[in-house]
Amino acid sequence: MIEALQAMASVVLDPYLIVLILLTTIMGVVIGVLPGLGATTGAALLLPFTLTMEPVHAIAVLATIYVSATFAGSITAILINTPGTAAAAATTFDGYPLAKRGEAGRALGIAVISSTFGGVFSVIVLCIAAPVLARVAYEFRPPEYFALALFGLSMLASISAGGAVRNLIGGVFGVWLATIGVERTTGVERFMFGNYELYEGLSFVPVFIGLFALSELLVQSKRVNEVVDAITLKAVKLPTREDYKRIWKTVLRSCGIGTFIGVLPAEGATVASMIGYSEARRWSKNKEEFGKGAIEGIAGAESANNAATGGAMVPTMVLGIPGSGTTAVILVGLMVHGLRPGPYLFTEQVDKVYQIFGAMLLANIVFMAMGLYAAKLFARISLIPLQILWPIVFALAVIGAYALSSSLLDVWIALIFGVIGFLARRHGFAVAPIAVGLILGEMVETNFQNSLKMFEGDWWRILTQPLAAMFLFFAVLGLFGSSIVSGISRLRSKAD
Amino acid sequence: MRIFVIPGVVAAFSLAVIWVALQLDVSPPLIVGDSMQPRVFPILLMVINLVLAAFLVIQYRKSPPPKVPWEGFQTWGSVVLFAIFFPLTVYIDMMIAIAVVMFVMCFLWGERRLHVAAAVAVITPAAIFFLFDLVLRVRFPRGLLTNWYYG
Repeated sequence: MIEALQAMASVVLDPYLIVLILLTTIMGVVIGVLPGLGATTGAALLLPFTLTMEPVHAIAVLATIYVSATFAGSITAILINTPGTAAAAATTFDGYPLAKRGEAGRALGIAVISSTFGGVFSVIVLCIAAPVLARVAYEFRPPEYFALALFGLSMLASISAGGAVRNLIGGVFGVWLATIGVERTTGVERFMFGNYELYEGLSFVPVFIGLFALSELLVQSKRVNEVVDAITLKAVKLPTREDYKRIWKTVLRSCGIGTFIGVLPAEGATVASMIGYSEARRWSKNKEEFGKGAIEGIAGAESANNAATGGAMVPTMVLGIPGSGTTAVILVGLMVHGLRPGPYLFTEQVDKVYQIFGAMLLANIVFMAMGLYAAKLFARISLIPLQILWPIVFALAVIGAYALSSSLLDVWIALIFGVIGFLARRHGFAVAPIAVGLILGEMVETNFQNSLKMFEGDWWRILTQPLAAMFLFFAVLGLFGSSIVSGISRLRSKAD
Repeated sequence: MRIFVIPGVVAAFSLAVIWVALQLDVSPPLIVGDSMQPRVFPILLMVINLVLAAFLVIQYRKSPPPKVPWEGFQTWGSVVLFAIFFPLTVYIDMMIAIAVVMFVMCFLWGERRLHVAAAVAVITPAAIFFLFDLVLRVRFPRGLLTNWYYG
């Protein structure tokens, strides 16, 4: 424990890392306020820039982008009624009405404080929960990992964007993408069509750049003629004692909700903020104020979405299962930099893990300062014309896709997945399930094969393993839980 | 009819993958052992997707998907630019290709000040090129400009 604290504290003794966190927080806030460029796209675009960095610095950069962009989405949500990130969508419900009443500074102050509280709370939970979970995960063998990966995939059914069936189709497509390349045990080439650059499979980075950045470019092209109605901001105001009295319970509740939702595989800040907001409304004494500028609404959504960032890092680092779209990119970052996610990370490279946690903690404090003193400036950035911004994103995307392995094939992959992602989104399919499926694909297949070997071909014996059976039960619950609940309530209403 | 389009695309893709998977090499039993043939897992996945596509039809029958409005020329023009980027990179130069695509994209999306579009199209790739070349030590593919730069 003392070693862990020392490692976390060492972050403040590394001037290079501090400068990096400062710069990345600025970049993260800029990414967060620019509509369309969320934390996931930002992390995917910045990943190639971290290639020459030390592993801790690289992951700290990506984690800082994650926390700062998640917060920054609230700035435009409050000032121009356009959430900079999907996670800030719930903030518009009350943030914008409050800003329209001339209280933009107060709304932003509450968003900044609630986000910081949520972020710090979740990093503390991360520091405590991750090593405990890692100790449990030491006992995991192929059947448990297989069941866990299936559980992660089943959770795609419940993420908000897209319907359950469409998300699952996306997830299965992602798992199939992971089968491209040479099958490791037998050496059989699968779906390579003679292209030997695909020998080791599809690289994650170009696929992610295509799915998140280039597909978003095509989506944003529909918005070029939109006129934005901006609200002027004088200064961000810290919440008053009365405000604190009104929001503290909401903030605490949303911190718990956000962290828990974040820990669940494939769920993320967007789901957390929606649930945080609706719970804030449910427990509030001033329900009638919601939608008209209730400060509990802003606090509930903002503390939940930032609490989800630390929570989502738990399964990512301990089990190698992404807790959200952005942590899927961070997971790839860990792999690219030679930090194999999993329980052994917590014994073999524990100092690095805690340095990353320390960097996340510092990033939360830095974005609070920026939110309080520079929100006005950042809000102006959001007004950069789309016709200038997105061609720049195009350049960053194609060069980023190329840079990782100096391969032109990766550029084509990014462009193709940009179009695939756009067409998918056009027809109501979310792209995050494809990314999660791609990451979990190898884990599912390899561990299923190893389980078959363990049980001499009897696949059903996976169910005899208590932990694996428990994860599979949760997977079934994740797939059919909502149908079962709605079926029961329909039967009840019929009986009444 | 509209309700069958997306499930139909999913089903057609799944069947195509199953067909390709069936053409894959069969590994000797000695190597595979108690595990499964490399073709089995992808086929299993696509069977799941076929079932999901059937569910999607049922879902769409209950609540048909909204008609997707056709996007403007900015969107489809950008897709065409993605396609043009390929031959430009292969036959001319990657940096020139990026600059051309950026310039046309700026213009297509409504930037009518040509000097602004030109500045964005020249400065951005140049800045990114030098950052990657000098700091990150990434070598870009050979082309008109890179041949001249690398010598």
